[in-house]
Amino acid sequence: MKVLATYSIKGGVGKTTSAVNLAREAAISGSRVLVWDLDPQGAATFFFRIRPKVKGGTERLVSSKGDLSEHVRASDLPGVHVVPADFSLRHLDLHLDASERPTERLASLLKGVASRYDVAFLDCPPSISLASESVFGAADALLVPVIPTTMSSRTLHQLSDFLRDQESPPALFPYFSMVDGRKRLHRDVMAALRSEWPHLLTTPIPSASIIERMGPERAPVGAYAPSTPAARAFADLWAEVAARLWT
Amino acid sequence: MARFCSPSASRRVCSAHDVVTYSSATLPAQHLASALVGAGFEVTRFRPVERMLLDTFDGRLHAAGVRLEVRKGAEMQLIVSDGGPAPAVTVVASVPSVGEDLPSGPLRARLVPLLDVRALRPTVSVSGLHATAVRRNESGKVIVTVDLYDQLAAAPGEMLALRWAAEVGPFEGYAKAARQADDLFGSLGLTTHDGDVLDLAAQELAIDLGGHVDSPTVALDPSQPAAGGFRRVLANLADTIDAHRQGTVDAVDPEFLHDLRVAVRRTRSVLSHAKRVLPADGRDHFKAEFRWLGAVTSPLRDMDVYVIEWPGYVAVLDPATAEALRPVVDHIERRRAAEHAILAGHLGSPRYQGLMTAWRAWLDGPATEKESSKKKEKSAPALGPIVASRIAEAQEQLLSRGRGIGPDTAAEELHELRKDAKRLRYLLECFGGLLPASARKPFVQRLKAVQDNLGEHQDTEVHTSQLKAMSEELHGAPGITADTLLAMGRLTEVFDRRRQEAREQFAGRFAAYDTKPTARALAELLRGLS
Repeated sequence: MKVLATYSIKGGVGKTTSAVNLAREAAISGSRVLVWDLDPQGAATFFFRIRPKVKGGTERLVSSKGDLSEHVRASDLPGVHVVPADFSLRHLDLHLDASERPTERLASLLKGVASRYDVAFLDCPPSISLASESVFGAADALLVPVIPTTMSSRTLHQLSDFLRDQESPPALFPYFSMVDGRKRLHRDVMAALRSEWPHLLTTPIPSASIIERMGPERAPVGAYAPSTPAARAFADLWAEVAARLWT
Repeated sequence: MARFCSPSASRRVCSAHDVVTYSSATLPAQHLASALVGAGFEVTRFRPVERMLLDTFDGRLHAAGVRLEVRKGAEMQLIVSDGGPAPAVTVVASVPSVGEDLPSGPLRARLVPLLDVRALRPTVSVSGLHATAVRRNESGKVIVTVDLYDQLAAAPGEMLALRWAAEVGPFEGYAKAARQADDLFGSLGLTTHDGDVLDLAAQELAIDLGGHVDSPTVALDPSQPAAGGFRRVLANLADTIDAHRQGTVDAVDPEFLHDLRVAVRRTRSVLSHAKRVLPADGRDHFKAEFRWLGAVTSPLRDMDVYVIEWPGYVAVLDPATAEALRPVVDHIERRRAAEHAILAGHLGSPRYQGLMTAWRAWLDGPATEKESSKKKEKSAPALGPIVASRIAEAQEQLLSRGRGIGPDTAAEELHELRKDAKRLRYLLECFGGLLPASARKPFVQRLKAVQDNLGEHQDTEVHTSQLKAMSEELHGAPGITADTLLAMGRLTEVFDRRRQEAREQFAGRFAAYDTKPTARALAELLRGLS
């Protein structure tokens, strides 16, 4: 099982929309997919129409008695299962800190379901914390959405610097998110970052109102607007990620 | 194979893939659809559907607990489940026939090692009308799905006794909704079955989803007359030859020819050990005929090996050299097609048909005068001691020839030694029914280490000479450049290096085999036969 974390230090950059849409694309390409919503806001849980409830709370899940498989819910998408979030995840750092090997705990929980899935997406809250370090310990790669603005590119550098000091860090798969091709700043930042980061995924995710409709639709874009450029962008982005993971 | 269980039985206990199917001999499918609507389900219209399970001839996926299904409705879906909670579902443009046809990604990565070179073929198919019934919770989330099937048929016009069915699959985290559906079906008096409609169709049509599994080992009794034991072993091998003939003729996949060739070699080997057991006249005739059959299968197998192993051969070359060899691959493919046409002719020829008919008659026919004589029957040698002496002789032959091989011995002698090792191995396999498995495995492991070395030496030697011959054939042919010929030279060097390495390793491998522990392992193996 490959573990991919949609991660950024910055909030509101498209982590959850990426996790939900890429999960659908991975599933329709033939993968058995698990989405683990680690964000107490529970946006991914909401998009999958699943009740935001961590049975027994985050403390029990993270404890030595925790078993991730007990928390899995089938989504309405064939091949996609979800571990929902609830507000108790706001204390994830504290509960991890109380566990024996906090930075290995998420990896250990995922190991218990590794034979059942091909891909696990971890939808992470924005921060750099103990929970983030546990995510880095579990993930094969970080999918990092980058809005082509000065601040977003700065946080990408911060993340890269942080990972450089880690022992066996995950691979970094940055990609452009919420791109508005009409804006000169977006075009300039994209050009600059592409020359600086040759390993950037090439497919940009557009800023599109059809993506915002995920809220009322409570589904990934491909499920309600499969022919739109946004849906195609997520499909192409997944194809790029899959090619890096399985070839 | 699906098992029937009672409606009240635990869902998990009675279903391998956690799918439960409901049916009724009296209630029409439409009545069930109405009942589901009454219970709050949304039910779609019935539309045509075809479902089929795919597996290899020898049921590799089934043996690994994997189900590969093609479902044709509005689109063609490929569904892979292995007992885990989430099936893999993807849309495909055509029915895959080999592993490489599967969509790239984890699905292919998981299945290709299982399939290897074997082709996929439908094992059981059903068609009919399909509707989906779903029940949602207050958030609009689906909490249970029921697949309804009506007018189920195995093929056009061949209706199944199971005319309609309702399937309820696993829906992780929503067990209560599934139990409620189970209660609803129970209240309607439906019959509950473990497995899905494909399982039930296979059961009704007496299709073994385990595929064709053959083994050279048959049940034998050491005290039975030796002739009967040998005939039984040979009849089993004849079954294997027959079972793989059509797949070879149809070029389904290279394993058909491989398995047919191994059965022919085993047949020849057992016949060569049948002196004073089976009558000489028939034995010599059939030995000659099976030698012919083995010989006519060799050219195609050589080409098959090239095609199968080619990616590994060129992996050690730089990309430019590998690319320069592309015309050679085309040449091999053309030769393979030509050799296949020739072999298909042989396998459909009167000589082949005559051989197998006469062989069956000889094996099934009345015992020879010598065997059937009451007096002789009583004094007929028992199978156990005969097999023990043949194995001991084969081992002695192997050791004697191996001990005589030094650094300067001709390569042909190693080839002969390889044949000796195969003869011993075939005896162990074909008469394995007499030998304790616990003693057979450690001895075979020792023998296999020598066989692997001899196989590598022989294969690289054959490839070296074949490539040289091919190089001469292709010299001056259209599209063959100097780069191609140079690349062939490079590949020949690779094989030659591997051959030399195998030769250098031989002495060590053989010395590790020619030991007292091997002798003890053999004695342990034969204990109880004499």
